[in-house]
Amino acid sequence: MEAVLWYVFTGTRGGKNRLRILRAVDERPRNANQLAESLDLDYKTVRHHLDVLVENDVVQKSGDGYGAVYLPSDRARHHWETIETIMEQVE
Amino acid sequence: MSLWFDVARVTAGLNVLLLAVLLSIWGRNYLDLRSKHALGLMVFAVLLLLENLVALYIYLVDPTLSVWFSSAVPDIAWQGMMSLHVLETIGVGFLVWITMD
Repeated sequence: MEAVLWYVFTGTRGGKNRLRILRAVDERPRNANQLAESLDLDYKTVRHHLDVLVENDVVQKSGDGYGAVYLPSDRARHHWETIETIMEQVE
Repeated sequence: MSLWFDVARVTAGLNVLLLAVLLSIWGRNYLDLRSKHALGLMVFAVLLLLENLVALYIYLVDPTLSVWFSSAVPDIAWQGMMSLHVLETIGVGFLVWITMD
């Protein structure tokens, strides 16, 4: 899991924005629209990053339809120390 | 001139392009992050890029070796050499795909 976290956040082109998304949903769960607005990103970009994060089990979806929000996954919580190390590097 | 030699040269050139893409992304990440992970990826791309540049140099530029490679190396040897370049292209291609994602 740690290697995946490092790659998804620091090895790829979109890593920085993914980290911003993870930080935002950690602050409080949000849906794609809210994320796009608060991070000043394109809605489609946010959707894409969320898909990558869900696929790698970094964030999870809670609820469905319009009310669905995203929050850090149990696995991400379990490895939160690694995530914090990565966040410190990016700041 | 062997078809396999052509494939080897073209895929070595393709590897250079793909690795340049990876290096630009990983290099930018390293400048941003300065972490050992970002450094490791960047060093990996640099070395593999050098490997392919050396291959292209000895295939195309070096006055002695390029003549030898284009005239004295039999097909069966090119088939082996070419397979190394093609396998690397596939591997690096996948890395580009997940890195651009």
